[in-house]
Amino acid sequence: MTSIQIDGLKYQYPTSDFKLAIDQLTITENLVAIAGQNGAGKSTLFKLLTGLVHPQAGEIHINHRDLASLTPEDRLKTIGIVFQDPSSQLFNATVEKEVAWSVLQVETDAAVVADTVNDALATVGLTELKDKNPFDLSMPEKKLLSIATVLAVNPQIYLFDEPMISLDWPSQQLVTHLMQHLAEEKHQVIAITHDMNWLAATFAKVDVLADGQVIFEGKPETFFGDSALTQKTGLMTPRIMQIAQEVFDDSRVYLTPEDYFEKHSEKR
Amino acid sequence: MANIQQISITHLSFTYQHDTNTVLHDINVSAPLNSIIGIIGNHNAGKTTLCRVLAGIIPNMMGGDLLGDVHIGNLSPTKDWSVLNRQTDFVLQDPNSQLSGLADTVADEIAFDLLNHGVDETTIQRRVADVAAQMQLTAQLQQSPSSLSGGQLQRLAIATAIVTKPGILILDDPTSEMDPQGRADFFNWLATIKDTTIFIVSNEIDDLCEIADRLWVLVDGELVRKGTSLEVINQLNPEWQIGTPKVYQLAKLMYWSLGADLFPVNINQLRGCVHDQHSN
Repeated sequence: MTSIQIDGLKYQYPTSDFKLAIDQLTITENLVAIAGQNGAGKSTLFKLLTGLVHPQAGEIHINHRDLASLTPEDRLKTIGIVFQDPSSQLFNATVEKEVAWSVLQVETDAAVVADTVNDALATVGLTELKDKNPFDLSMPEKKLLSIATVLAVNPQIYLFDEPMISLDWPSQQLVTHLMQHLAEEKHQVIAITHDMNWLAATFAKVDVLADGQVIFEGKPETFFGDSALTQKTGLMTPRIMQIAQEVFDDSRVYLTPEDYFEKHSEKR
Repeated sequence: MANIQQISITHLSFTYQHDTNTVLHDINVSAPLNSIIGIIGNHNAGKTTLCRVLAGIIPNMMGGDLLGDVHIGNLSPTKDWSVLNRQTDFVLQDPNSQLSGLADTVADEIAFDLLNHGVDETTIQRRVADVAAQMQLTAQLQQSPSSLSGGQLQRLAIATAIVTKPGILILDDPTSEMDPQGRADFFNWLATIKDTTIFIVSNEIDDLCEIADRLWVLVDGELVRKGTSLEVINQLNPEWQIGTPKVYQLAKLMYWSLGADLFPVNINQLRGCVHDQHSN
């Protein structure tokens, strides 16, 4: 089991007043959502976890090893990130080369590289587009390609920054299933999301940030059940709760239409 | 032939220059002017291309093999572009690509088109303040457009489009970078717009079902369904892989039907349906 342990973490951008300050945060679950309004510190937390920026104070331990002590190659194998904007991580001439470039950072055997690339492209359904230029792909295809580049390295921990944005319905299903599969395979999958419907339907654990601090850790059901807390964080409730509220004046917690159905069939 | 009160598309097909794939196949559809038309479908279904034809960008700025006729009222975007262009505004998928890049402030960016139209200074100031308030950009008016977030840039792109009060508004995935509250505010605002023909491409099916008068469904360049959101959502083919609104998912699970296996797709329909069931 993977564990991320954060202690006394402080980070402030040189050019803004924003401060991230996390006294203590432990993430041990395999599928975790990070929620919070724009500017709450979600992406900053991801940048700190990947070592893209360094904290001014505090420590991050992954499986009891100090993140700062990992070699670049160890870090790649430990933690990988899929950015919100896929264009920011694509730069090779073809889809295939894009994935191969990632694998070559951690693997030198040409046959292994080729197999890994094929597997990663097949997983996201891009095999047929392998000779295309990444910049000729549609947005969902670009996003799937950026996921393939991380899959090919197969890190212990996957970070997804807003994975549902700019995907159409079938690719949303594909990515959700892929994330669930990775979590079942004992990877740790952590996703930043604004999509409360998806969060409620997909995650059993959520960490909520507001103003650079962690203000909730626990089950989505508990979070959405605390209306003072949801309001304080500026987050909306899942659509099904809005429907129950508006149509039935029912302010109980429902995560999905299926959840509503189950809770109401028990009583019949 | 042109009906002055109708949007009508007849036998529209299109293939981009230097390409062999037909992007739009024999599209036939009509709808009343001043309605909100939601265009849905997955990527590469032809939604953006259809927007470009409606805006006259195809064939006037992007070439290809265009067949058939498009009329919005008595004007055709393909034939009367210069006239139509003056009353049409288009919000592109990528807001960055449509801002002038010349303005130092958000206020100047919004005012840009009005300046070009020779509108007087007092009117410009009033319109800019009014539109900025509608798009919740009042606090950002003196900032540089480059300092805005993705969602704010999308709202700025919409502000620059509506400042000239266009009769036709074409919005290609206008909320993709907005947060949920911003998106909810946008759709609430859109529902208040009067006397404007609005075409909106969006994946936000719950929101579209609340506000759109019509839905058009594109699959691989074909218009496979058209009608009210109630008709269209109830007749989706699972093979098209189009998401459905939560109201509809809930009503199906609970079997809250409007009769004839027709399930509500928005809050008002659900309210009516549940009310009927309780009074029976």
